[in-house]
Amino acid sequence: MLGKLDWSAIPFDQPIPLIAGAIVLIAILGVLVWVVVKGHLPYLWHEWITSVDHKRIGVMYILLASVMLLRGGSDAIMMRIQQAVAYQSQGYLPPEHYNQIFSAHGTIMIFFVAMPFVIGLMNLVVPLQLGVRDVAFPTLNSVGFWLTATGALLVNMSLVIGEFARTGWLAFPPLSELSYSPGVGVDYYAWSLQISGVGTLVAGINLVTTVLKLRTRGMNYLRMPMFCWTTLASNLLIVAAFPILTATLAMLLLDRYLGFHFFTNEAGGNVMMFMNLIWAWGHPEVYILVLPAFGIFSEVVSTFSGKVLFGYRSMVLATMAICVISFMVWLHHFFTMGAGPDVNAIFGIASMIIAIPTGVKIYNWLFTMYGGRIRFATPMLWSVGFMVTFIIGGLTGVLVAVPPADFMLHNSMFLVAHFHNVIIGGVLFGAFAGFEYWFPKAFGFRLDERWGKAAFWFTFLGFYVTFMPLYIAGMLGMTRRMQHYDVAAWRPWMIIAALGMAVLTIGVICQIMQLVVSIRNREALRDRTGDPWDGRSLEWATSSPPPVFNFAFNPDVRGEDAYWDMKVRARQQSLEHDRPEYQDIEMPRNSPTGFVCAFFATIMGFALIWHIWWMVILGGLGAFATFVVFAWRDHDEYVIPAEEVAAIDRVNIEERRGLVSMAGAV
Amino acid sequence: MSDQSHIGHDLAPGEEEQHSVGTRIVGYVVGLGLALLLTATSFFIAGTDLVWQPSIPVALIVLAIAQMGVHLVFFLHITTGPDNTNNVLALAFGLLVVFLVVGGTVWIMAHLNANMPPMDQIMMRQ
Repeated sequence: MLGKLDWSAIPFDQPIPLIAGAIVLIAILGVLVWVVVKGHLPYLWHEWITSVDHKRIGVMYILLASVMLLRGGSDAIMMRIQQAVAYQSQGYLPPEHYNQIFSAHGTIMIFFVAMPFVIGLMNLVVPLQLGVRDVAFPTLNSVGFWLTATGALLVNMSLVIGEFARTGWLAFPPLSELSYSPGVGVDYYAWSLQISGVGTLVAGINLVTTVLKLRTRGMNYLRMPMFCWTTLASNLLIVAAFPILTATLAMLLLDRYLGFHFFTNEAGGNVMMFMNLIWAWGHPEVYILVLPAFGIFSEVVSTFSGKVLFGYRSMVLATMAICVISFMVWLHHFFTMGAGPDVNAIFGIASMIIAIPTGVKIYNWLFTMYGGRIRFATPMLWSVGFMVTFIIGGLTGVLVAVPPADFMLHNSMFLVAHFHNVIIGGVLFGAFAGFEYWFPKAFGFRLDERWGKAAFWFTFLGFYVTFMPLYIAGMLGMTRRMQHYDVAAWRPWMIIAALGMAVLTIGVICQIMQLVVSIRNREALRDRTGDPWDGRSLEWATSSPPPVFNFAFNPDVRGEDAYWDMKVRARQQSLEHDRPEYQDIEMPRNSPTGFVCAFFATIMGFALIWHIWWMVILGGLGAFATFVVFAWRDHDEYVIPAEEVAAIDRVNIEERRGLVSMAGAV
Repeated sequence: MSDQSHIGHDLAPGEEEQHSVGTRIVGYVVGLGLALLLTATSFFIAGTDLVWQPSIPVALIVLAIAQMGVHLVFFLHITTGPDNTNNVLALAFGLLVVFLVVGGTVWIMAHLNANMPPMDQIMMRQ
């Protein structure tokens, strides 16, 4: 009846996951009870859960990423402490638990922190920057988000029901095959990624279509803000690469569930094919994450330097070059598998070539800052911190792109330090910069600068104290994923890294404090004009938070930096806007499709993991029925009458007029 | 969101241009005829001894590519017109990625197979 599921699945003998799980469960239940008792449930359901508004969905993506960042961060803290104490001893984490932690840490940080964070920011900002009212497929957007949340939920369930994979974050066979991993850990891994992978693919299709097809009047490709370009490139990569991941994991699942032999040791399976395929997805994935971050830095650097982005066209070219070349380098993840000198040399060279467009970008940002009036607000601090940190990570990357060097450094702590250097220094700093930069747009008030700067400095320094020692440990021959070790020379570096982790934790606490303090002081930090940073692109042309329809009129774009251009013209001609003719606006209706579909997907995923076949059928039918109901809907839009649009828009115009006249006085 | 302004006029994949029903039906019928013809030819070629045997695989590949062309033109309406730029670019990007990934995989796996045989085969070589 319940497949493999019974009471032995709950780890009563392991206090750490059980207590952690219990605390999380109590917290979730507490929030739920609070929501129900306070009567917030209808609000939550109508305004957020069923919302198809790209801004709301973007915010929910970022919320998911932030919560999962805390989960993945806790894993990181546990690993750093383990390696600091596990010198000539077993430490405090038993090996099978330690293996689950590093696997969960990688999986969570990539799939459920970095991905939702960047997709959330793209969702929130791109339609605003393009001057349009929503993404191309609003309901599909909601489906994509909730499927991602399903994946995250399944990963977290594994904490208390069963186990997670002990295979590392990419579940390499033959270790991940049934003969070596008979438990449900790999199944949790694979099904949560399959389900959230569908969500990511859907988000990718949606955003590509949005950028290609929905742009306001005059918004040519070469007038789009840089963030829209990197969004386009990143989502093209999602559309091209994620099917490879889905297919590869599907083959692994066929091996595990139906006795196939794609990647088994016996019966003609080929383990090397898995490495090849997973990295053919895995390397583009790196650029899927970092390209949007590059876009964020471009926006931030240009805004806070008060200048047009230097070398816009070279930036576009570099972005698209990275988009294509990222599909030509995947073998550098397995130089040591033995493809031989020809193959290794070609892929090594391709990997070094991709550093060129990245270098172009760095120089463009530097030249954008050169001669500008730089304001070191928090987003700018994250951007400058990124440039310094990312160059170090990029250079160690070029180093390991040399096959002979890679043979020395493969699978060592040096590699761990390298990819944390680029992912934290690139993606996470970018996500935080974007978070600080666009928070006022999303919520209508700024974040507290003092706590923000403290968060930056602790994170920045904490990063160096944590990861520079790992480079050295790698040079000293320490391999990754060690549960314990006996080499005295590594010990001091592990202890320093653990201290660095403490500094990083303070950074995270500052970030949380910043949020708390800002919410409490929100009246003082209120952004009334919708343009708190003296911005340059169209998202600052509407109020903060924007009305549900974003713009009362589709803005007219006449050049790069569309909003800056408008401000300049308004100042020069001291334009009295002639009374505009407001019109009715049609907007997509909210729909519970995404939530209901994800509900059934969760049931189906859980049932698949535990081999509860009747429940699989039930979940599958439910998800399918949801789609059918959605497909036969009668009314998918509602009308906002012109008077309402006018009332909302006039308030914003008044505030803005005040700003323009003030700027004119200066 | 009917008032959303689009830049230029651009067709989505599979979207119809404004033709009369008659023209469209003719288009589909011609496409179907060509597709069937190419399919029949492939089956015929595969089993025949009328042509030089080593040329058969080449002929099959050519026929397969022609088949793809027929599908793209008559059913997916990919044309070279300015309203089709996005579709053509998407197709080109897709082909490039497939070429890179499939081609790269074949190349890598061939080298791996040559250099990294299972243990018993290494023993046999020595």
